[in-house]
Amino acid sequence: MPDVLTRRNFLSFDFGDRRAPGDHWIRIHRIAMACRFEVMLSSEDAGHVGAARAALDEADAVESLLTVFRETSAVADLNRRAADDDVDVDAGLFTLLVRSHELHEETDGAFDVTSTPLSRCWGFLMRQGQLPADDAVQQARDRVGMPHVHLDPEHQTVRFARRGMEINFGAIGKGYALDRMASMLRAGGVRRALLSAGRSSVVALGGRGHGWQVDLRPRLASRLVGRLWIRDGGVGTSGTGEQFFEIDGKRYGHVIDPRTGHPAAGVLGATVVTSDGASADALSTAFFIGGPSLAERYCAGHADTMAVLVLDDTTERTQVFGSYHGATLEMES
Amino acid sequence: MNLTPEQMTLGRRNFLKTIAGVPAVAAVGAAAVMKGPVRGGPVRVGFVGVGGQGRALLRNVDPNFAQVRAMADINPASLAAADEILKKNSQPPAKHYVEFRDMLQHEDLEAIITAVPLWMHAEVVTTCLDAGKHVLCEKMMAWDKAGYERMMQTAAKARRVLEIGYQRNYNPIYRSAHEGVMKTGVLGDVYHVRLAWHRNGNWRRKGDPPSKDFDASKWGYPTWDHLWNWRLYWRYSQGLFAELGSHQVNATNWFLGTAPERVQACGGVYRFKDGREVPDHVYAMFEYPGGVTGTFTSIESNAFDERYEAFFGTKGTLIIRNENDAMLFDEGAGARPTGVEVAPKGAGAALETSETKPAQAGGAAREVSASTEGARGPSPTMIEIQSFCSAVRTGSPLACGPEKASHSAAWTLAANEAMKTSAPVKIG
Repeated sequence: MPDVLTRRNFLSFDFGDRRAPGDHWIRIHRIAMACRFEVMLSSEDAGHVGAARAALDEADAVESLLTVFRETSAVADLNRRAADDDVDVDAGLFTLLVRSHELHEETDGAFDVTSTPLSRCWGFLMRQGQLPADDAVQQARDRVGMPHVHLDPEHQTVRFARRGMEINFGAIGKGYALDRMASMLRAGGVRRALLSAGRSSVVALGGRGHGWQVDLRPRLASRLVGRLWIRDGGVGTSGTGEQFFEIDGKRYGHVIDPRTGHPAAGVLGATVVTSDGASADALSTAFFIGGPSLAERYCAGHADTMAVLVLDDTTERTQVFGSYHGATLEMES
Repeated sequence: MNLTPEQMTLGRRNFLKTIAGVPAVAAVGAAAVMKGPVRGGPVRVGFVGVGGQGRALLRNVDPNFAQVRAMADINPASLAAADEILKKNSQPPAKHYVEFRDMLQHEDLEAIITAVPLWMHAEVVTTCLDAGKHVLCEKMMAWDKAGYERMMQTAAKARRVLEIGYQRNYNPIYRSAHEGVMKTGVLGDVYHVRLAWHRNGNWRRKGDPPSKDFDASKWGYPTWDHLWNWRLYWRYSQGLFAELGSHQVNATNWFLGTAPERVQACGGVYRFKDGREVPDHVYAMFEYPGGVTGTFTSIESNAFDERYEAFFGTKGTLIIRNENDAMLFDEGAGARPTGVEVAPKGAGAALETSETKPAQAGGAAREVSASTEGARGPSPTMIEIQSFCSAVRTGSPLACGPEKASHSAAWTLAANEAMKTSAPVKIG
């Protein structure tokens, strides 16, 4: 456990060391990608507030690149044209597409950045959930599938094999933005910072002792699931506590299994800890969809990946798979 | 201040919403940067003056740092009210004195905390220093230049700690803003500072003498009102520039690392023509070296602006409102509002993670108010007194020793002179 400076031990503390851990957190934040992006510094690193702001500018830049809500973004342009043309994309975007492709394959198709037509047919894009007709689901499924996105590494171009396809980086973009912010901060000499986007994506840069303490509290779980201490790594969490609808007592969450066309079920919350924010984000969605069997299989085959799943059963059982070298997990009993 | 409602909303959340509405940020560890009085135990302290401000200080005495042995005040009602504070805070009763000199003579004290009317600062402080006591003196430093120079010289000669009570120096918001914004150059080049302290109300206090036979003239006040409302009379007070302006100018001097050289001012008794002498509306413009211009306004007819310090730079703007709420804005058309919050670390997680909460500001970090639970630290005033005690015990540095405080005092006196003469005044 990290040291906790209480009033009692404060009075008996050795104050000779002026470099002792700082006294408060500084949170520098901004709205981007429809959520709060934040860089958290310890007060002894207050000199890096300027660097944190520059990093937030990077979040804005990533949003401008990836958003599907602005017609001017590179992804919006890609979605408009890629069914007809080989579309040139910039290096960052191409790398993200390649990584998304890998993650798709590694998760047996559970992670898929092309599942937007399914989200639309279930009404989640407009935040007006609805039960779709079977043929509507089937039509949407015809336009979904990462294998239908052809990536040409030589020319760095992208082509959709089917009309009506759409790329949406909603399940990986925040982690990706945090990774880019972390790289910037690192290059700027910042050694310790905790970066987050929404509540769901976290990237730890450095960390004292065991690292930054991050509590795991999926919104559907009725309790604190565990406490995580993380140094140098990404944490992603997926769940449907915020976006869902109910019909006849049945709950339909916004995370759609691209392999079935239906909302994923069986998991209340999935948290993944690994070396980078983008992978942690994507894998948390994949494991939310694929459940414990996918998480177990993936973690067995990939070193330095830890998954914490809260199962949707009467006891809200928690299962942990794999491990991450920079993480210490303390489960709540 | 030209802020959109959205910006204000963001700003209210920002930078230290932790202490909105409460007098504290904390600081389990804001105090941790100083050396605590571990050896030698709490400092033995006497209070001189336990009126409104003296009792505000008394309320913020941390018994781990200071033990209040005695209190002196010419008003027995103030002493009785001070007793109640000690009782409420479970601190032992302190002996009463009318004359602070008697207290110095009869009590075994190491330090004095004083909050007497401004005209008495120099006399009380130098007497205490001469008696070998360390002194924490409520701001502003002294009624006139001769007074504050005498205080500086006496402190140096007696080799005793003299701290002037500008609590912004101990407020973690200001410390963070200084470290994280001013020193890092986030604002670019700052050419303008705007200081405002606007209220809509009468500075005159209502109150009866402690007894029918109470004779204020013994203490230099021709009537009870001259004592009770000493702030309204030039003989005792330096008006709004002193009581409010010097706080903000002192912080600005700290942030800019320099002191103003010239001031112009105007003002008058415009609203409350009730026989008072000091203006109820004052306006000052003042120049720092290097082309930085500050303005300070204090009015008693409108509170819309409340109080704030705003630093306008070529790259951004820092606004600290009401001592508990800071906002940072990028300069330029495409500027995105960036918030900065400072929260005590306390125990527990830095962050809680869950699935994305869509499209909502403030959805990321757990609520700051939640993270301060059980970790609410001392108020800036308490930290100030703790720091003073630490300086007494261990020689740790002061945030606002006599020299720094003398600069804001010099500004105050010059601003009043400029207002009275309608002419620019060189400071110093």
